Amino acid sequence: MPSTSATGRVVAVTGACTYLGGELLRRLEEDPRYGRVLALDIRPPALTPGGKVEFVKVDLTQPTVDGELATLLQQNGVDTFVHGAFLSHPTHAVEWAHELEDVGTMHVLNACAGIEPRRLVMVSTTLVYGAHPKNPNFLTEDAELRGHRDSRFVNDKLRAEKQVQRFAKEHPDVEVCILRFAPILGPSVSNMYTRFFTRPVAPVMLGHDPLLQFVHEQDAAHALQRAVESRATGPFNIIGKGVLPYSTVLALLGRVPVPMPPFVARQISKVLWATQLSGSPPSFLDFLLYLCVADGARAQRELGFLPRLSIKRTVLDFLGVAPEDGATDVARAQA
Amino acid sequence: MTDDDDPHDPHDARAPRGGAADDWYGEADPRVPDASPWPERDLGFYGDDVFLGEEAVVPEELGGVHSMAPPTLEDAANAELRELERRVEQHRTPAFPIDLRRRLPLEGLWRRWRSLAMWGRSDVVDDFGRDPRAGARWEWLFEFLYSKWFRVEALGLANIPDKGRALLVANHAGTLPYDSAMVMHAVRRDHPARRDVRPLVEDTVFHLPFLGPVMNRIGGVRADPENAERLLQKDELVAVFPEGEKGMGKLWRDRYRLQRFGRGGFVKLALRTNAPIIPVAVVGAEEAAPMLGKVTWFAKNIGIPWIPVTPTFPWLGPAGLLPLPSKWYVQFGAPIDLGRAYGAAAAEDRLLVNRLADQIRTQIQTMIEELLGRRRSPVLSAFLG
Repeated sequence: MPSTSATGRVVAVTGACTYLGGELLRRLEEDPRYGRVLALDIRPPALTPGGKVEFVKVDLTQPTVDGELATLLQQNGVDTFVHGAFLSHPTHAVEWAHELEDVGTMHVLNACAGIEPRRLVMVSTTLVYGAHPKNPNFLTEDAELRGHRDSRFVNDKLRAEKQVQRFAKEHPDVEVCILRFAPILGPSVSNMYTRFFTRPVAPVMLGHDPLLQFVHEQDAAHALQRAVESRATGPFNIIGKGVLPYSTVLALLGRVPVPMPPFVARQISKVLWATQLSGSPPSFLDFLLYLCVADGARAQRELGFLPRLSIKRTVLDFLGVAPEDGATDVARAQA
Repeated sequence: MTDDDDPHDPHDARAPRGGAADDWYGEADPRVPDASPWPERDLGFYGDDVFLGEEAVVPEELGGVHSMAPPTLEDAANAELRELERRVEQHRTPAFPIDLRRRLPLEGLWRRWRSLAMWGRSDVVDDFGRDPRAGARWEWLFEFLYSKWFRVEALGLANIPDKGRALLVANHAGTLPYDSAMVMHAVRRDHPARRDVRPLVEDTVFHLPFLGPVMNRIGGVRADPENAERLLQKDELVAVFPEGEKGMGKLWRDRYRLQRFGRGGFVKLALRTNAPIIPVAVVGAEEAAPMLGKVTWFAKNIGIPWIPVTPTFPWLGPAGLLPLPSKWYVQFGAPIDLGRAYGAAAAEDRLLVNRLADQIRTQIQTMIEELLGRRRSPVLSAFLG
């Protein structure tokens, strides 16, 4: 491979086929400040021909991938590494998911430890805070990461994040930035929440109605782009404007709520998950019982990221309905 | 985030930042390539709503967006494929449910269902979950309880500032938090500025099925120091009941005897946020739901700390949870400005915090005694006023 010219930054992106990875590639392609972009994934993303993005096949579940990655980073003179190879849906293939997320992150960090790229950006989620009855209404970045007692989906991400935090301590020369995204909604993204809200009916924990928080896909992609160009370090919550009760989200979407006591819902969910009829594991029900809402002040202050779209607009955009007064609704609430 | 001086630093290629939170996203910013990333869609007939089943009815060319839709065939090279699809469509055996759905006026039904589901709630809530429309929905009930049932007399409302933060500290009683509702309603109804009080609700009540979400929608916030601090920083009126669960679980024989005031968290809060403390004495709540005893057996299994035994509950079933019509007084005391007297650093002085908490407790106890002294006979006038 040709060595880097001094024309701009060289970025490597894992998880190039995820929504955020693809959006980032598209935005970096348009930005003249970036010389070359390496898209790493197991299958090629949709690329514009003749662009500066190159696809390199990298499978993070292979046992010796860290060596390969290190050579790749060295040869191309990568200065910014974006690690976004995380699953957006829970899967029944828990072993594979563990290899990809937890061990895959280890491989990425092994490779980065030798090369020490200038900047490492990791894609995480606010689910790592866990839904807990003792959560304050707004979780700051300093809040304890509780994870979830029996969710592999959340805990693999949590372990990956803890590894990255340890790496940041051991390598103070690398600017490590962790983005904890609130659940992403939008017309083109696909993840656990979009699947959940696509169904015509939705379970409701009888008598419980926690506040939910989402971030619009465009805002999320912008935040990631922002994190790549910024020099800020540390964890950041990337959230949308405003919160809404779960019941109101269902009403806006026109979904039919099916109220049931939590223990009944848990049993039903266990059966549906075991028979692979439902895409959300039983542990997800806790997020319908308790709060898991993050505070985005730090991202605004240090990263310069301000979400543009309110939660209502995000939900309606996901539904495919153009809101009449989308821009002003949060201002109305605060007035 | 500091900019260093190296002009060749690729990180610094963009315009100077710092305080750029407001301007970097604006249309004027040429760095942002996609000021309007989603296409302006003319949804036409489907403008108000979109069907949401497995087969999205909105055609792609109308801009119907379905999150799980397969990749669209937009290339001209795919004309052949489209033609094939069209022919397949022509010869398809009509699948019963799909065609039935298309003939039935389901779009209209769906729209009606959505407006029905949105009844009594607004599509915007504030940061802590208060829904203005849901609050208005329960207003009549509070008004009835306030003026007809409890005949509340609110005294000293002038002590509450018209604007700016303040921490209302009140005694707590009754099996259900009627007292926080009445303090809230008193300020909203009779205070000249009609301010909204945000009561802090203890965990046991906040996580109760049905009651918790309703409390949250009308303005209650889970009692958590971070929440309280955030509210006070936003210059809200916050009501705190430092006795907490112990205050609510007082037996009839302990009525109007204030319990320990938590761990003095409210004093720390007032010192840290420089908010004046307004002591509040509520008299009447004890008689509204006199707790004769409490049963802890089985209570934990249904998620509550105890099952109260009152003259009416559980004998009359859920109707027994209705309060007795006692006569209430709510007295707001003069504000105590701890921040000015001791400074924010005093929040770390545990001895001082505890002493101040106890002083305020004593003051509220005195206010209660005075209010009780207005009653002629201990039991009868508790109801007749």
